Amino acid sequence: MLMVLPSLLLATGIIGYPILDLAWTSMQEVSRFGKLQGFVGWENFAEVFGDPLFYASLWRTGIWTGAVVAGTLLISMPVAMILNDDFYGRGLARVLVMLPWSISLTMTAVVWRWALNGRSGLLNATLMQMGVINEPIEWLAEASTAFTVEILVGILVSIPFTTTILLGGLSSMPQDAYEAAVVDGATGWHQFRYITLPLMKPFINIAIVLNVIYVFNSLPIIWVMTEGGPANGTDILVTYLYKLAFRFGQLGKASAISLIMFGVLLVFTLLYVVLLSRNEADAAPEDEVKGHDE
Amino acid sequence: MMSKAKRSILYWIILAPLVVVILFPFAVMFVTAVRPRDELFVYPPTWGFSEFRWENFAEMWVKTNFGGALLNSLYVSITATSAALILSIPAAYAMSRYRFAGKGLYKNFLLMTQMMSPIVLVLGLFRLMMTLGLVNDLNSLVITYAAFNMAFTIWMLQSYFNSIPRDLEEAAWMDGASHLTSLIRIFLPLAVPAIVVTAIFTFINSWNEFVLALTMMRSSEDFTLPVQIYSQVAGRYQVEWHHVMAGTVLATVPVAILFSWLQRYLIRGMALGAVK
Repeated sequence: MLMVLPSLLLATGIIGYPILDLAWTSMQEVSRFGKLQGFVGWENFAEVFGDPLFYASLWRTGIWTGAVVAGTLLISMPVAMILNDDFYGRGLARVLVMLPWSISLTMTAVVWRWALNGRSGLLNATLMQMGVINEPIEWLAEASTAFTVEILVGILVSIPFTTTILLGGLSSMPQDAYEAAVVDGATGWHQFRYITLPLMKPFINIAIVLNVIYVFNSLPIIWVMTEGGPANGTDILVTYLYKLAFRFGQLGKASAISLIMFGVLLVFTLLYVVLLSRNEADAAPEDEVKGHDE
Repeated sequence: MMSKAKRSILYWIILAPLVVVILFPFAVMFVTAVRPRDELFVYPPTWGFSEFRWENFAEMWVKTNFGGALLNSLYVSITATSAALILSIPAAYAMSRYRFAGKGLYKNFLLMTQMMSPIVLVLGLFRLMMTLGLVNDLNSLVITYAAFNMAFTIWMLQSYFNSIPRDLEEAAWMDGASHLTSLIRIFLPLAVPAIVVTAIFTFINSWNEFVLALTMMRSSEDFTLPVQIYSQVAGRYQVEWHHVMAGTVLATVPVAILFSWLQRYLIRGMALGAVK
């Protein structure tokens, strides 16, 4: 099909070619300046798997992804339910909740880096003026607090997207199920537990998988706020990969990590495809009816 | 059932903490951007300051070469958006109107490209651009942004195209118009709103991209806005925070306003297509 071809070519060239190149590079010994110096087989991978920093980053990637995705979902679900209901100022509330989405992660992270400044940051100012703390806190100077704060910022910027998906699900919910439940004397919690949650499951699943993919890949927040420091204490796989590739010039090792990450992403993408096609299969009877109309 | 007024109050109380946290960075930006320089590092830290220094913006513009970065960002975002649209309008039209061999495969391929984030491929992309001699060339960003946004644009456009009735085009064919004529004369005018909305979101995506711009652009004249502002912060002993915040205000507020105005279309497009 002629109309699809150009887009296919560009996407394959820009997205497909680098994967092959990475696969090729990961099997080579590479100089600092990107010259390939001969085939070494799995040596780069062996080096990666013998590197304690790799395991530390992998572990932190798990915490980062898990905490951000779980936190986002826990906040987004009630927010989406509120935004789906009718109340005064709903339009404004929607705009406000979506706001973090419009700003680049880099800018958000830059602003937070300043707001969290250990001496004069405005978060310290707020807490001190409210009398919560007496001394300013060095938020980003220690890995454990820095990482916690980064997770919280990660949650904040993931809420708009997740809420959007959940809103899409809530707005397609059948109203009669609720009316029937009210007639049967179901309380609010029961309605949520036995009607909303089961019906929302496909949307929640999609929100989880997509968020896992995005958060797993997210560089800007951690990179801008701490660059994986202090002392590699907030490194996740992407920041470690970026450092190896563009700071330390260990290109072979970096390609190996890229490929490992590519493998992980592939698994989640396939999971997403399966979830989507299952949803489509659920909606199939409706499509059949539409098919007759045409 | 609660009355609407009571419910509204309750909901706003629940939302209040979230709204405060969302607005907090904006407040930080403004308050820092208009503050005199010697009131940045005061102890104890405070929100208050003595006067509004609007000159900060003008100073920042000159000192940090904001204008240059702004032009770079505009060039990259506009060109990448146009390229992505030119390639994806026909593809989305085909997806929406025709059956063809490998359509399912193509759909899954698009999905895969959407899942691949630039960061995983950044090293491979960098080597590709080295080979093509495009490092330090804004066009390398144009090509990659167009490619990475294509899945999104095709998806959004297709979901809107599906909602444009076929009857009009079919009527035109009956009257002897060729498919191409009916596409240009009848279909495209109807599709303008969808195309504009998709274009604006692609523009915002490109405008906000960081990783690729950081990697490909090695000299400061070629920086786009996010990289330029990042470079004012990273690895510096003395950060001119009032300039940095003035820069973020100018770089984010117009986009935030545009986005707030258009967000309902994004929700609708996603509800129609991407998230079935």
